Amino acid sequence: MRRLFSRRGLGLLSVILVFVLGGCAGKDDVAPVDIEKQAFDDLRTEIRELIDDPAREAEAIAQVDALVTELDELRERVADRKKRIRQLNADYDTSRAEFETFFEKVNMEIRSNRQRVGDSHRALRASTTPEEWSQISKTRTRAMNSLIKSMQAT
Amino acid sequence: MLIALFTMWLLGGSSTSLLDYIADTRDSAKTIMVKDERQKEALNTLKAMKKRARAHNKQAGKAAKGLNKAFRDHAVTTAEIDTIWGIYFTEVDQYNHDMIKLRFELKEHISREEWAAIFSDEQ
Repeated sequence: MRRLFSRRGLGLLSVILVFVLGGCAGKDDVAPVDIEKQAFDDLRTEIRELIDDPAREAEAIAQVDALVTELDELRERVADRKKRIRQLNADYDTSRAEFETFFEKVNMEIRSNRQRVGDSHRALRASTTPEEWSQISKTRTRAMNSLIKSMQAT
Repeated sequence: MLIALFTMWLLGGSSTSLLDYIADTRDSAKTIMVKDERQKEALNTLKAMKKRARAHNKQAGKAAKGLNKAFRDHAVTTAEIDTIWGIYFTEVDQYNHDMIKLRFELKEHISREEWAAIFSDEQ
């Protein structure tokens, strides 16, 4: 019973609720925004369970919050790029130079990401011990798997 | 999840294989174009695009695997991550170059009207 009502237990119950309630709205029809929220809540729960030091825990949670913002922006940029490349390709008269300009811009954006990913990864790692990092890295819940699949399909 | 997200973020989401979808228009080309030499050439080019896209996606998979492993390592250095990333982005540049070249080759076999019909959903 104590196990069921531990933070992890409550997290699990929340996941079940999201999917059960989602099921009421339509079979397998959980809104992506709810899945994403649940996945990150699961991650925060895991971090709170694993990291005992309040200062390191707060830093790790802050990094996860920043990650949510970055991934939302990435998703928007990817959607914009896909829309733009399809417009360019559909136009019979698009020149090679126009494609090259487009890809130069995309590559520049992806390169500028590199620094931010590195900073975020370093900061999150620095707030954990190797053992905590190993555990956090392995954490996978149903909502997390759904989020990854949806991001890969974006 | 965290590791997979870092990897996706570093690789720029799925926007490093933006031209893959052109290779998936074989069925439309078969339907819209008259079965002749031009159609045959167009289908051959689309086949080449598909092959190139597959090879690129294989490289993307390798890079993702390498980055997943690196990000999991608490002691990983920036240089180690940059090495995997650098190799991958050289491939991305080459992929974009190859696919643009094939796209213009494809255009040589397809009329303006056929092109508009094949890619009508994209306007």
